[in-house]
Amino acid sequence: MILVTNNPKVQGDPGISCDKEYIEGSLKDVLIAVRDRIHKGHKLLSHPLSGSLKPNETPYKSILISKEAGSMDWDSLQIIENSIKVCEKFVRYPKKCGYNNQERLLADFSEVDYQLIVAALKSAADKVGGEIL
Amino acid sequence: MKLELGNIFIRDIRFDSVSKVEKGILFVNADELRDHLLEDENIKSVSLEIARPGESIRILPVKDVIEPRVKVQGSGGIFPGILSKVSTVGSGRTHVLKGAAVVTTGKIVGFQEGIIDMSGPGADYTPFSKLNNLVVVCEPVDGLKQYAHEKAVRLAGLKAAAYLGKLAKDVEPDEVKVYETPSLKEGIEKYPDLPRVAYVQMLQTQGLLHDTYVYGLDMKHSLPTMLYPTELMDGAVVSGNCVSACDKNTTYHHLNNPVVHDLFAKHGTELNFVGVIITNENVYLADKERSSDWSAKLAEFFGVDGVIISQEGFGNPDTDLIMNCKKIEAKGIKTVIITDEYAGRDGASQSLADADASADAVVTAGNANMLVSLPPMEKVIGHPEVANVIAGGFEGSLQQDGTIVVELQAITGATNELGFNKLSAR
Amino acid sequence: MGKYRVVHYINQFFAQIGGEEKADYRPEAREGFVGPGMAFNAAFGDKAEIVGTVICGDSYFNENLEAATKEVLDLIKSFEPDIVIAGPAFNAGRYGMACGTVASTVEKELGIPAITGMYVENPGVDSFKKDIYIISTKSSAAGMRDAVKTMAALAMKLAAGEEIGASAEEGYIPNGIRVNFFEEKRGSERAVDMLLAKMAGKPYTTEFPMPDFDRVEPRPAVKDITKATIALVTSGGIVPKGNPDHIESSSASKYGKYDIEGVFDLTESTYETAHGGYDPVAANQDADRVLPVDILREYEKAGKIGKLHRYFYSTTGNGTAVASAKAYAAAIGKELVADGVDAVILTST
Repeated sequence: MILVTNNPKVQGDPGISCDKEYIEGSLKDVLIAVRDRIHKGHKLLSHPLSGSLKPNETPYKSILISKEAGSMDWDSLQIIENSIKVCEKFVRYPKKCGYNNQERLLADFSEVDYQLIVAALKSAADKVGGEIL
Repeated sequence: MKLELGNIFIRDIRFDSVSKVEKGILFVNADELRDHLLEDENIKSVSLEIARPGESIRILPVKDVIEPRVKVQGSGGIFPGILSKVSTVGSGRTHVLKGAAVVTTGKIVGFQEGIIDMSGPGADYTPFSKLNNLVVVCEPVDGLKQYAHEKAVRLAGLKAAAYLGKLAKDVEPDEVKVYETPSLKEGIEKYPDLPRVAYVQMLQTQGLLHDTYVYGLDMKHSLPTMLYPTELMDGAVVSGNCVSACDKNTTYHHLNNPVVHDLFAKHGTELNFVGVIITNENVYLADKERSSDWSAKLAEFFGVDGVIISQEGFGNPDTDLIMNCKKIEAKGIKTVIITDEYAGRDGASQSLADADASADAVVTAGNANMLVSLPPMEKVIGHPEVANVIAGGFEGSLQQDGTIVVELQAITGATNELGFNKLSAR
Repeated sequence: MGKYRVVHYINQFFAQIGGEEKADYRPEAREGFVGPGMAFNAAFGDKAEIVGTVICGDSYFNENLEAATKEVLDLIKSFEPDIVIAGPAFNAGRYGMACGTVASTVEKELGIPAITGMYVENPGVDSFKKDIYIISTKSSAAGMRDAVKTMAALAMKLAAGEEIGASAEEGYIPNGIRVNFFEEKRGSERAVDMLLAKMAGKPYTTEFPMPDFDRVEPRPAVKDITKATIALVTSGGIVPKGNPDHIESSSASKYGKYDIEGVFDLTESTYETAHGGYDPVAANQDADRVLPVDILREYEKAGKIGKLHRYFYSTTGNGTAVASAKAYAAAIGKELVADGVDAVILTST
């Protein structure tokens, strides 16, 4: 598994031991990086639109993809493309207040993204015998 | 399984020295209730406020809304697995303080949203403006982590509702309604000619602040399973979902699930309502595959002709919704799905993050991106500073006279995907 | 406040000038109402009045699109209207295209609100529903009474600058813009009603149509292309010079089947395009650019393909209703299969 993320808390957690690709960039940049990986044959393992926070609200995103790259997975491509479209739809609008400018909020957004991906990692760990976390 | 719901109509809430229900008025001893809630060591302070329909009051940020109920006869107690032991509920008799609700507010995370306006244009969009609300404002002890804070506020709401519900135990209800679900075998014998219908309820289960509990169990760790519809009426399902105010299902929604009520309304005359299949909305894609396979399998096993599928939330659950719909249709079972839309402020964008041709019968609860202008209220309960920063929704939304312009998504229950409201879109 | 000034656009048929034989009737303006305008005036009551009617034959309008639009627009402008109503056109394709063109151009160029009415399958709907409000009507003039009522109501709202509600409330054909409104029943009850109808096989209307999924599964690859018979089919409007079947330049009501036995090259003197939706110069100079007969003949000679099918099929895709296109495709496909064609090259514009 590879965890693509722009969330420093996820990146910095030594407890999450799977491969990571850290993106210095926006939520959309994470989606694009994942799309590129899918083009190369990686499979999407967690939903890119995890959480009810909207893409013009939280700046953070963490997404799990397969480490193995085979032939391109169409279901993965469809989900990531739809997610990019949704993201573009929201970021047209003014950013939510507090976006990127309040320490407390950033920490909260980071924490929610972190917890959601931990939930996904737990599901993944159940599958492969608990070795990921 | 058979449940009698005894409704006691509440037309006002007042603070008084003795908590009681009398002639349609709910009297609350605030000190007693406050002390009860402060027994939780994670809660530093509690204040109680009353918000009545038509008053110039704004409540925010709303965490949950809960209807006070009490079990009068039958096994188990309200909110089994959480406040009561896990025995199966849904039979016997339950009393309800109809027209009253507990509203919890809590700034668990900085971006907490959820507005209830008791009057003005915002009131039209939330069903909770029509209720007499006892608002519980909780402050956590310093340094409490988000998940512990969420749990503390969740439990405070349930405890307050149970406290009020108990006052209804010996009150004669104004009306008694009976809901009964026969076993599969009895149902087939009793209604051989009626189409068989199940309700597939998707529950928010993505993780922190996005969870739902069934008999106390975190539903993300469960396979889809079935409930008698009346179990919902006794609080078998409790909301731990704090994000996306407009389309999260509060505990009040679970207790008063409109799909359950409207299927019961035609049960035995136009259809045979077999039961509720509950499923989850996990983030991990393999979980989605497994759960949607399972909900389709259960629908097939119950031999139903049709199902209604309801959603909770935005984005990720769109994928579960379409998977459920596609797989159940593929079994030859007719589906109707209930969702809401994020079509952009101009209404011109694609509404859902996923789609499939088999989803050919859709009920929509409206476009959550629509802007609505909320004039200032005389009183704000909860965390007024949030009104200026977060609930305003976006930079520049707070106007000079105090009016805030928000997207509908900031209003609690505005585009509820159980179909609780009349709001729709075309 | 005085009455709103309404101008009504209708075709030669509704002006009671004549049918198809008078379809080349040139634009004309008359004071006051003509034909169905009377019903509109009645529906307006004392709020509005038709001050003038502009009439144009459907063939004249569609075959002289640019000139006719300008003539009609000038006549409309001369009445200084507050609102313009075109049609309703019901299921008449060319009338629908004319109404759509007139109404959208009035809004765009004169800045005056304009509406029309059509049956949902009218090709004018797909072409114009995003530009103007098109009231949904029955397929024939038998639906005039209902159409007038709904069109007049929406016209008055537009004239007054009022907010326009959702398509389900106002009666216009959904235009892709989602508008919120309050239904009579709550969502769960509507879901139960919809499910009962769906289970009983009765008609119901989804509140959110899924995006268009007209996807075609690709066929397995042709096993041996050097033995395959290949046919050419186009929506680019290529026809023998003179357009013997009179395939319309837009909203085609038919397709043509043409023998190319012994034809090795489509030339300026032998073939042309009937299509009115793109600049025809390059296609008219050398129709192979749209329908590559020359190259396929070369391939045939070189043994790269088995052979080129003896007939090609052609229609104009411009404004042609999806339902019509599907029907043509089904008929053409059936013939191709019967003739033993192995593969088809489809060209558009």
